[in-house]
Amino acid sequence: MTKDRHCPLVDLHVSSPNAMRLNRLMRMSRRDTLMTGMAGMGVMAAGSVVAAEPSSGGDPELERFMKLSSRLTDRPSLDPRIGKALYERILQSGPERKAQLSKLADLLDGGTYENASAFAKAVEQADPALKDVIHDLMTGWYRGVADGKVVVYRSALMFDVTKDAIYPKTYAAGGPFYWTTQPPEVDKPTGAPALSPSKFDVEPT
Amino acid sequence: MSSDQNLSADVVIVGSGVAGSSIANELARAGISVIVLEAGPRVDRQHFVDNFRNLENKPSYQGPFPSTPWAEHPPNQITPNKYLHTSGPNAEAYQQVYLRMMGGTTWHWAGCAWRYLPSDFELKTRYGQGRDWALKYDDLEPFYYQAEVMMGVCGPDPKVEDLGSPRQQPYPMEALPISYAAQQFRKLISEKTPYRVVHEPQARNTRPYDGRPTCEGHNNCMPICPIGAMYNGGYSVYHAEAAGAKFIPNAVVYKIERDSANKKVTAVHYYDPDKGSHRVTGKYFVVAAHCIETAKLLLLSADEQSPDGVANSSGHVGRNMMDHTGVQVTFISGDKALWPGRGPLETNVIDNFRDGDWRGDRGAYLVHMVDDNQVDFATQLAISKGYVGKDLEDQIRYLASHTVRLFSHNEALPDPDNRLTLSTTHKDALGIPHPDVYYKLPEYTVRSCEHTRGLFKNLIGLMHGTDEQWTPGYFPQDHPSGSTIMGVDPKDSVVDGHCRTHDHENLFIASSSVFSTVGTGNITLTVAALALRVADTLKKELLHA
Repeated sequence: MTKDRHCPLVDLHVSSPNAMRLNRLMRMSRRDTLMTGMAGMGVMAAGSVVAAEPSSGGDPELERFMKLSSRLTDRPSLDPRIGKALYERILQSGPERKAQLSKLADLLDGGTYENASAFAKAVEQADPALKDVIHDLMTGWYRGVADGKVVVYRSALMFDVTKDAIYPKTYAAGGPFYWTTQPPEVDKPTGAPALSPSKFDVEPT
Repeated sequence: MSSDQNLSADVVIVGSGVAGSSIANELARAGISVIVLEAGPRVDRQHFVDNFRNLENKPSYQGPFPSTPWAEHPPNQITPNKYLHTSGPNAEAYQQVYLRMMGGTTWHWAGCAWRYLPSDFELKTRYGQGRDWALKYDDLEPFYYQAEVMMGVCGPDPKVEDLGSPRQQPYPMEALPISYAAQQFRKLISEKTPYRVVHEPQARNTRPYDGRPTCEGHNNCMPICPIGAMYNGGYSVYHAEAAGAKFIPNAVVYKIERDSANKKVTAVHYYDPDKGSHRVTGKYFVVAAHCIETAKLLLLSADEQSPDGVANSSGHVGRNMMDHTGVQVTFISGDKALWPGRGPLETNVIDNFRDGDWRGDRGAYLVHMVDDNQVDFATQLAISKGYVGKDLEDQIRYLASHTVRLFSHNEALPDPDNRLTLSTTHKDALGIPHPDVYYKLPEYTVRSCEHTRGLFKNLIGLMHGTDEQWTPGYFPQDHPSGSTIMGVDPKDSVVDGHCRTHDHENLFIASSSVFSTVGTGNITLTVAALALRVADTLKKELLHA
C-alpha cells in the first residue's frame, strides 16, 4: 500500500467552500449516481488507493480490470472504488463486454508492453473489436462516464490532468476574478494516437 | 362550488418568469393584489445543481430540468422533438428550448443583459426592413435602467466603452473583469482586425448585490449557476412573495374568458395536475408565459366570440416568429494556451455588426467567444482520435487549453408565414395541444449568417486554427419572439406600444412575443424593461382609477 500517496482529488474536495457546503456523500446516494453503496467506505479512504490491492475485495475479475486500467492509463495508482463502479457499469453496456474484457486481460498477461500506447496498438491489431472496450475504459476513467451514466464527476481523471489550470464546472475555488490571471502554457504534445480514429459527434445542447 | 371560486385579485398574471414575477413584485409593493399562475412546479437551485453533476451530456441546457407531464417543455434542441414540433425549410433553426417552472427560463441563461440600440426600434424607418416598434428607445430607457437595477447588471462605463445604447445612469455594478482567454482574444481582434471586443453587460454580481454573492466563476451559468451570483426570475418571485403576491404553481391556464361584448377579460381558467378546473377573476390580466406558450394560450382560448383566438382580430397571433439564429464553430487554436472556461461563460462580444447601413440588405449580429470549460470536450475528442494513457493526458491538456468556440446571434425579420399553430396530432397529459411552428429563415438572416461564416473563417486563420467543427446548418439561440407582435395598427398587430392588446382593454402581454423586430443580444433585459413598463401602466390605472 502506498499510504502516503498524495491525492489531489481529496484536496480539491476540502479546498472548495462550495463543495464543503454540499455534502458529497449525499450526492452519491442519488439513484443516478453509480457509486451508491460505496459511499460508506468513506472519502478519507481515497488517500490510500492503489491498483489491484485487496480493496478490490479479492474479486479476481475486478483485479484484472484494475490491472488493465493501470496499463491503459499509464498510472500505477487508481481508486479501486471508482474502478469497481466503472467495471460494473461497463459490463452492463453489452453482453459481449465480459468476454472482451477477459480477452483484453489475457493479451496484457501474455505480453510485455512499455506503455499504454504500445498495448493499445497490439490490442487493435489482435482484435479490432476491442477498440471499443478500450474506449469504454478511457471514457470511464477520464470522463467518469460508463454506459452513458455518470459514475464520478469531479474525480474523473480529466480534471486531475488539468487541475493546475481550471476547475470542474460548479466547483470553482479560486475566489472572485481568479480567471483574470495567466494560466500555464501547454506545449504541443508529440505523442501519436495508438488506435485508429473514430467518429466524434458533438452532443446536442 | 369549490373555494377556488373565490380566487380573485386586482391583477392576474399568467407565468412566473422574469416578466411575470417582476410585474408581480412591482404591483405588490404598491399595495395592489396579485395572483401569479405558473404552469410548472416550484423548484430549487440545489436540485438542479445535483442533476447537472449527474448528467452525462453536460452541454445539455435542458438536461437538468425535466418537465412535468402537465407542463411539458422541449427536452432538447433535437428535431423531431417530443414537445415543440417544428416544420418548414428551416425546422431545425426553430427548435427552441425553454423552461416551464417557477422562475422561468432564466434558470439557464448566461446573464447577458443587452439594451437594444435605438435603431433596433426603427428598422423600417431607418433601413426599410421589417417593422418599427410602437415605441422608441427613449420610451424604454428608464425601464431599462429599472430592469438593470432589479437584476443587478454589471457593465462598462460608457465613457470608456460605449455600447451604443444611451444611458441616463451608470450600470449598477462595475464591469466584470474578463478572463485571460478573453483578454487574449480582445488583444488579437484589436491588433489584427478593424473590429473590437467589448465587455458584455451581464446580470451577474461583481460585488455582493441584492442578498446574492459575488460571482466565483463556476463557469456554469448555463445550465445552472450553483451559487446564485447570476440573477434569475426566481429572485423576483421571492421578492414578490415577500411583498404579498400570491404565486400558485402547477396551475396550467387553458382559457381566457371575456365579457359579453368581448372587450374585457373577466377571468382565466386553469387546470391543476389532476385536471381539476379553477377560475380566477381580476380587474386586469397579464399573459407573461414566454413567446411560445403565450401565443399557444391565446389560440387555445378560441371560442364563438373569438373563433381565431383571443386578442386575434388581426390574425397575427402566432405569426412573425423570430429568433437570433446562430452560426457556431469550434476549433483548436495554434497559438498560445488560452484555457477558456475560467470564469463566467459569456463575458465578451464583438459588437461591430450590431448596426450599420448594410442593415438594409442583411441582418445584424454579434459574436461571442464563448468562455466555456473545454476539458470534457477535449477528452472526448482526444479519445476519438485514438489516444490512450500518458499521450491521452497530454492531448487533454493541449486541447482543453487551445479549444475556441465562436457563435453568433443573427437578426431575424417578422414574416407572417413563420407561424405557430396548435398541434392537431400531439396533446399533453391534460389534453392541451402541443405547439407546432413552421419556420423558413428570412433571406435577410441567411445573408447575415453568411457574413458571419466569412468572419469566423478569418478569425480561425488569424488563430492558426485546425480541427474546425461547424455546427451544421443554422441553430436556434432560444430567443423566440414576435408571436403577439407590437404595432400601431390593430389590423396587423396584436398589442400596442404599452403591450396592451388592441382587442381587450384590460389584457396585457409581457413577453418577447411583443417584439416587432429582434435586434441583437439576449432578449431578456428588453423583456424585463417592457414588463416593468406594463407594471407602471397598471399602477397608474389602478391607483388613480
